[in-house]
Amino acid sequence: MSFSQAWEFFHWSILAIMVAGVTLPVIGVWLFVRRTSFHGLALPQFAASGVAFGFLLLPWFVAQGFFGGLSLESVAADTHSALNYHLSFAALGTFVGLSLLIVVGDRLGTEGARVAAAFAVASAITILCAHRSPLGEIFVHGILTGESLVVGRHEFETLAVVLLGGLGVLVWWHQDLLLASADPEMAQVLGRPLRRIELMFVIVTGMSVSVGTMSVGPMMLFGLLVLPPMGARPFARSMRGLLWKSAGLGGLGSLLGLVAAFRIDLPPAPCVVAASAVCAVPGWLAAGWRSKPRTV
Amino acid sequence: MTNGSAPSLLEVHGASLGYGGVPVLRDLSLRVERGQRVAICGPNGAGKTTLFRGLLGSLAPSEGSVERATSRFGYLPQSERLDPLFPLTALELVLQGAISRLSGWRAFSPEDVATAEELLGSLGLGGKGATLLSELSGGQRQRALLARALISSPEVLLLDEPTSGVDKAAAQAVFERVDTLTRERGLAALTVTHHYEQLAGHVDEVWWVSNGKVEVLEAEGFDPAPLLGRGLSDQSTGAAF
Repeated sequence: MSFSQAWEFFHWSILAIMVAGVTLPVIGVWLFVRRTSFHGLALPQFAASGVAFGFLLLPWFVAQGFFGGLSLESVAADTHSALNYHLSFAALGTFVGLSLLIVVGDRLGTEGARVAAAFAVASAITILCAHRSPLGEIFVHGILTGESLVVGRHEFETLAVVLLGGLGVLVWWHQDLLLASADPEMAQVLGRPLRRIELMFVIVTGMSVSVGTMSVGPMMLFGLLVLPPMGARPFARSMRGLLWKSAGLGGLGSLLGLVAAFRIDLPPAPCVVAASAVCAVPGWLAAGWRSKPRTV
Repeated sequence: MTNGSAPSLLEVHGASLGYGGVPVLRDLSLRVERGQRVAICGPNGAGKTTLFRGLLGSLAPSEGSVERATSRFGYLPQSERLDPLFPLTALELVLQGAISRLSGWRAFSPEDVATAEELLGSLGLGGKGATLLSELSGGQRQRALLARALISSPEVLLLDEPTSGVDKAAAQAVFERVDTLTRERGLAALTVTHHYEQLAGHVDEVWWVSNGKVEVLEAEGFDPAPLLGRGLSDQSTGAAF
């Protein structure tokens, strides 16, 4: 399929992937420099578990008349109601996961171990909940394998508002977030609202992960949060430079991934992740070359 | 050097400082005046950092009070505490100290940028504004951090182990600069250090932290060795503690 044909059929999906490709790496930069990239792995899985849990409860909500007397099939077919419902549960799953990671803090094992445990538990909940709901199993399987071409206008608008809004918040609070992340003690000395800044970052991350999981799936979400910042870091000469380069690499990876997906007829999410990895290779090579001991 | 009648910049009244309800330091009564230079010393684990955090305001006293007559505090952390993963330039770092002066559009004014560049220049880092911190030497990073602490025109400067990770000459350059500021601007400087011998001659008073208490001692003729003997029993080094 040519790109122009793909655009005709899937333009909302293409736009959603491009917006995610440019904005998610910016959030990923902050996760990366704060050494919390693993959160980008666990949180989408928590969001997916929330969606699966929502499917489990859907018949009960329908029976209680929460959807104005619509049948289960009608609710599932009504894009707006279904999307809002799934988004609510994705957000619930994400914020439960975030709260768990924050509450446990550094009291239990290493950061990597905590996040790996959270990922394992969230994956199990996702599969178990989806297994108990035939409708949910199909849907959750779709988002887990990266079938991101079913994005409609309403889904794209929600994604764009949340991701671009989150980006705006991060740009506005850039200096405060940078100081709070790099030197929280100094931020406190200068009277900056440290807790408010941290809360703002948690909300932006949580909202972006919830909406991103629903629209482009956890695989692409995690790939875009992690790969572009890692590829851009060796070439960055300032914090702003890192943010711009990551967004650029994410956009390039998404575009190349989409072209490959349409040309070779493959699911877009793995293609975007693979293309982002290819775009990040020069950075990894540069980092490896620089860290090698040199003899004179 | 202290003057009982001069207004204090910082006063600690009967304060207890600790974590989770367990006090590390009890019944502290201390005061810091304009132009005063204090070294905070003591054995490892005695509570120097706890005291420092209490003075900074990042740790609230469980009893008593810490009164600050100024909100203009400068803070110089250990240079190793800067994570090299942040691609910060020297200029970006210094400007962090001026964050409370961000404009309505959340940007630094050209005046602040010029001041940051001037400060870097005055500390021997002229032309290094665009250099990444990870590419500066330990001493240069320390001076960039000092510039960040000074850009907010502080009245109290808190220095956390300024000799850590830097050579003796770099540490001396920082102390000499601080001496000038205390003389010319009446800045008060409090320095936590494990290496008193490097600070000798640059302080008026020593706050000896040990066994949950803080003892205020004259700097002249101060020798930490006998105090270490009655400090923690496992201390085996001389002046470095």
